[in-house]
Amino acid sequence: MAKKENREKTQRREWYKLDLSAIVYPTLQRRDFSSVYRLSVLLKEEIKPEVLQQALDMTLPRFPTYKAAIRKGLFWRYLEPNDRPGPFVQEDVRNPCQPMYFKANNRYLIRVYYFRNRISLEAHHSLGDGTGGMCVLLTMTATYLRLLGVSGIQNEGFVLDIDSEPDEEELEDAYMRYANAKVCPPRLEEKTFRVRGTAEPFYTLNIIDGIMSVSEVMAVAKNYHATITEYLNAVLLYALLLKQQEDKRIQPRPVKIAMPVNLRRFFPSITLRNFITMIYPGVDPRLGEYSFEEIVEQVHNYMRYHLNEKLLRGDITTNAATQRNPFIRVVPLFVKDYVVKLFYTKVQDRNSSAGLTNMGALKVPQGMKPYIERFDIYMGQPFSRRTNCAIVSFGDILTVNFASSIIEADVERYFFRKLVRDGIHVKIESNR
Amino acid sequence: MSYCVNCGVELDASAKDCPLCNTPVLNPKEYGGYAAMAARLSQLSGKGTREAESPFPKDKGQVETVNRKDLGILLSMVVLATGATCGVLNAFVFQGVLWSLTVIGACVVLWVIMIPAVIYKGQPVYVSLMYDGVAVGIYLYMLTYLTGSKDWVWGLGIPITLLVTVIAELMTLCVRKLPRSFLTVSLYLFTALGLLCMGLEMLIDRYLGHEIALSWSAVVLTVCVILDIALITMLSRRHLREEVRRRLHF
Repeated sequence: MAKKENREKTQRREWYKLDLSAIVYPTLQRRDFSSVYRLSVLLKEEIKPEVLQQALDMTLPRFPTYKAAIRKGLFWRYLEPNDRPGPFVQEDVRNPCQPMYFKANNRYLIRVYYFRNRISLEAHHSLGDGTGGMCVLLTMTATYLRLLGVSGIQNEGFVLDIDSEPDEEELEDAYMRYANAKVCPPRLEEKTFRVRGTAEPFYTLNIIDGIMSVSEVMAVAKNYHATITEYLNAVLLYALLLKQQEDKRIQPRPVKIAMPVNLRRFFPSITLRNFITMIYPGVDPRLGEYSFEEIVEQVHNYMRYHLNEKLLRGDITTNAATQRNPFIRVVPLFVKDYVVKLFYTKVQDRNSSAGLTNMGALKVPQGMKPYIERFDIYMGQPFSRRTNCAIVSFGDILTVNFASSIIEADVERYFFRKLVRDGIHVKIESNR
Repeated sequence: MSYCVNCGVELDASAKDCPLCNTPVLNPKEYGGYAAMAARLSQLSGKGTREAESPFPKDKGQVETVNRKDLGILLSMVVLATGATCGVLNAFVFQGVLWSLTVIGACVVLWVIMIPAVIYKGQPVYVSLMYDGVAVGIYLYMLTYLTGSKDWVWGLGIPITLLVTVIAELMTLCVRKLPRSFLTVSLYLFTALGLLCMGLEMLIDRYLGHEIALSWSAVVLTVCVILDIALITMLSRRHLREEVRRRLHF
């Protein structure tokens, strides 16, 4: 009882400031685009929707920043606890990651779907990143399994105790804690190769999933003296380079990938909100022709150089500097929205040719393992006409999920063909 | 278990063609040999006979719409209350002149304009514009109870409302159906402005009993025609068009 009261007290917090990354996502909102990502878990048995709804209702109050609505202030947007009915689980659709309007769906910014043995969670990026979303999904799945009578699922890793009160640190904007470098290193921005495809009509998201074995990919990556992430990054760069060659561009441009880095690896934090930053591994074909081995080496060296606590701290300090600037803070929201959107469209979006995220090997509590088959994650609809790639592995299954809103699947084709040529067995599933 | 002959990837049992390269999945055994398969191949356009279930749902979803019903009710009630209270005030307190008709009429016009924004979003824009015109016409007619004379409504008020409505409808039609860019919209706008001024002067002349002739509106029309010709030239010359777009982009 005392616990419950405590939780209500924490939940009753009136509002939450948006974190540093979350500020950007709502400004990019269009009629046909929202920054929505999707995390799915495939269980071994068919989902029972009424039990799933019960599990969702029990789980969500534990995550106050996910049981929230987004509101506009005069200068910034903010999150407000949402006590409206819902969200309600619904049968899955063929075209996931649809736009999420802030005032629809009882103002909830998450959706939960079920389809045969799959549970999917879609969340707006302004609530939190993939790690936060995965906590919600796995805690809900654990609750669901417990309701079905499974015992022995411990609360550890991504599975949180739904009876405990949310820790203040889970709700913090961790960027601000670590954005304390003494200098703001400048950002390197240049126009990169952009895939020009034929746009699909509204309400379409083309998905291609490649399912393979972790050990096979790891063995191949080892041959190139690289990690799985580095190897797959290199394969995507190779596919993009090939696409640029096939397109016969008069003026080739550098090919770069926007890759989110989970900052929790470098800065201790248990925040469930956004705590990622972008790095841009890439190659410049204007300097000469790259062999695949050279691409792998380039990516490997880039990662080794950039992924360290010092450079990342500098990066987040640069990002935080704009938000801390008193002159920027007093500018009305609609002006900020316009400027941020302009900056994103003209600079940030052009800074990369594709997106790639790797959630790595997911660990679930021992008691849950026998009930889970695999995971799928989707970066969601790309802001411009290109393709986004998300990688996740569980046990020996590694899935590479491509999501795009263009008709052509050239990049995906070059990507998977390269994997097959390297001797990896790939199984393809698609909603095309 | 089938593999794409082009890509070498294993395909899902339900796949009718390779999602990567669109090569159809054909199993010679299902077609009774290669010859029969070749015959079927020409008929196939991505439609195979594979029965297995797709790992993805069949139905497409749609975005939830924003519920503006409450806002619609609130605004309607505010407008209704304003009209009703002014009517009561006119009837019992400030009697004499029917001044409340101006407020009630304005409330009706406001409500009609509000319909597409908060009450019924599915209404075609042309119908909305027509309703707006009709509402303004009724408002003007209501004002005659205040002014006494009806001549100005039939002579000037209704014809001008009709003219503005028709020009607004045509302008909307052009913007929606013809190619739309910064330059073409300017072209439609200047044409509409010229026609509006010309129509206005002719209607005023008719109402005042003067001979129908162009004077001040001819100046506006001339300027609009010059601008239109300049815009048409820019639109027809690719280099000029690009130059203007480059210099004026925002």
